[in-house]
Amino acid sequence: MKKILVVASNEYLIAVTSKAFLIGVIMMPVFMGGAIGVQYLTRDQVDLTTRKIAIVDETGRLFASLAQAADARNKNGIYSNDQEGEARQQSAAKFELQQVQLGEDNGKRIDVPLTKRVKNGELFAFAIIDPDVFDPNSGGVVRYHSQTPSYQALSNWLQKAINLEIKRARIDELGLSPESVAALSSQTALQQFGLVETTAGGDVIEAKEENRILTFALPFGGIMLMFMMIMTIAPAMLNNVLEEKMQKISEFLISSITPFQLMMGKLIGTVGIGLTLSTIYLGAAIGLAHYFDISDSIPFSLYAWFVFYLFAALVIFGSIFSAIGAACSEIKDAQSLMTPVIMLVVIPVMCMGPVLDSPTSLFAKAVSLFPPATPMLMFARIAIPPGPAAWEIVLGTLLTIAFAIGCVWAAGKVFRIGILSQGQAPTMAKLAQWIISK
Amino acid sequence: MPIVQIEEVTKTYGKHTAVSNLSLSVPTGSMYGFIGPNGSGKTTTIRMILRIIHPDSGSIEVLGNRSAAAANDELGYLPEERGLYKKLTVRRMLMYYATLKGMSTKPAAIEVSNWLERFELGEWSTKKIETLSKGMSQKVQFIASVIAKPKLLILDEPFSGLDPVNRETIRSSILELRQQGTTVIFSTHDMGVAEKMCDFVFMIFQGEKVLDGPLESIKAQNGADSVHLRWNGSREDLHSIGEIQKVIDLGAYQEIQIKGDAQRVLRQLVDKGSVQLFEIAQPSLNEIFLRIAGPAAKGSAATTSEFAGVTS
Repeated sequence: MKKILVVASNEYLIAVTSKAFLIGVIMMPVFMGGAIGVQYLTRDQVDLTTRKIAIVDETGRLFASLAQAADARNKNGIYSNDQEGEARQQSAAKFELQQVQLGEDNGKRIDVPLTKRVKNGELFAFAIIDPDVFDPNSGGVVRYHSQTPSYQALSNWLQKAINLEIKRARIDELGLSPESVAALSSQTALQQFGLVETTAGGDVIEAKEENRILTFALPFGGIMLMFMMIMTIAPAMLNNVLEEKMQKISEFLISSITPFQLMMGKLIGTVGIGLTLSTIYLGAAIGLAHYFDISDSIPFSLYAWFVFYLFAALVIFGSIFSAIGAACSEIKDAQSLMTPVIMLVVIPVMCMGPVLDSPTSLFAKAVSLFPPATPMLMFARIAIPPGPAAWEIVLGTLLTIAFAIGCVWAAGKVFRIGILSQGQAPTMAKLAQWIISK
Repeated sequence: MPIVQIEEVTKTYGKHTAVSNLSLSVPTGSMYGFIGPNGSGKTTTIRMILRIIHPDSGSIEVLGNRSAAAANDELGYLPEERGLYKKLTVRRMLMYYATLKGMSTKPAAIEVSNWLERFELGEWSTKKIETLSKGMSQKVQFIASVIAKPKLLILDEPFSGLDPVNRETIRSSILELRQQGTTVIFSTHDMGVAEKMCDFVFMIFQGEKVLDGPLESIKAQNGADSVHLRWNGSREDLHSIGEIQKVIDLGAYQEIQIKGDAQRVLRQLVDKGSVQLFEIAQPSLNEIFLRIAGPAAKGSAATTSEFAGVTS
């Protein structure tokens, strides 16, 4: 054990006293913050070119209202601040509507000349409104033509504006007063709460209003932080082992300690680096939670679960990556073996959407009990109130621990044989053979 | 009592037998030379002694222990392929190796300082390994292998790539360690060095032991048939004498290997020319090596019993 700790402390001290570590500690949040900042700063960097659209209004009743709505939008609906005059900042393109009469085409198809106008840049799009759109049973539609279908703002606005006018016309036909229409259309607010709790003494604790940002940000942030830590630290262990092998240091080391001791020492050192990083980031997170006065909404047990699952993930992926490093003699060989392992790391991130959306679904339960994905996804489910059932957490934790032990055992077998092997990298079949060998 | 006891050890890699049924006993306090051509099984034998790899069959006892962990701290090893942490400082790397060998921090620090001073590397102790010259790196690697005062020191090609000054520094250190009681096993391709330094020689060829025992004894058993000759006759005349097995031209004289009566050979030489030197000599270790593993021997399916000097 003493030798394992000598290796672990050496690995740990080399890493945490390096410039790369200090830069990494600072750079990870800088990159994360930078990505958010770039999105914030570029949110107004939109193409403000005026979009010209030709409207073929076969009803003869809609164009005037649509032009009026476009004018109103161009005057007040495309600015990101409330100021007047030149101080106003435009954040969306203006829409300019042109009416095209069917008669202008002398009976030929109207869409052919309009398409030409779109192609030569005179128009951005054109829309043909069927004559019977006011009749809900007619099946009449509005056909919107553009060569830039990815630009949705104009089509969305047009659909909304046309439907508003149609709705207004239908209400007019019913002879209702504007007040009655307003009363009929008024909406009721919906507030989201958690569940009430009952104490042992029978007292009822009122449900807390849900903080939508918090319930999303905590599991999402936890998964992303864990993912980044795994992707930063575990492959570094592969490089470390491979470098020692390529520089012929390994043979000297394993004349002093067993390969298993060497691997365990490296693993513990690596996990220590991960836990140091997580302590720094969690410390910062707790500080921010206090600053924004939301610390009461984050139970302390959540931090403990994060540390536990990060620990388990680093043991699992650290041992796998170190075994790959030991088995290969060149970085390009290691890269091909790394690909399936990277897929395992990425699975939880790919499944994150459905799990966050519906954390109690069968899919969420199943995928969070798949050991390589458990650390990230079970943490996410725990972070979303009311959390998974206790048996799920216990089962997930036991499976993760068993899987981590299995990974260390198998990696130890591969490490023992691989660390002295030279030449071509082993195939998956060969690795399996090493694992089951005595 | 032997410090290393190998009993009927065999190691195979797939279909290739690296070491076959090897038995070897290394006496405590001896200087044991492991010789043999490339790929003959020397490094495999060394790695098995160090428990880096395990034999398929047979047993190995080192320092009276069969377990790897028990003996590790008392073994020093200099691998043939040297490797150091380039980004670490000299002192930090040596401290790491010393503590891996079970040394406490304080005694390790003292030992590191002493060895660095002795090898004139004191001012380099805070420099990174990558800044050292090749010779300095090799000296640091040697220090790493002896820092924990091992009882058994195993050196795989300790002098390869060293200039004469560094070679002498390391040679004298090895001899000093030996005087202090350390048993030394070293493998080498330099027969001159082995002949000068070793008490015992073990030679392995194609995975099998072909020589083993005290150097003098091996030479004596191989020595009666070697003659240093200087004369004015032709090479054809030499080959016409039936008792002459082999001729090696060494420039100033020729070393001939004879089979049969030396006096009869001398008489035949005198009949064919003028003899200036005819000296019956023990063969050099190099000559013995070539007899076993040289081009003439290859393919003759040498077996242990064919060579004099195998004592077990």
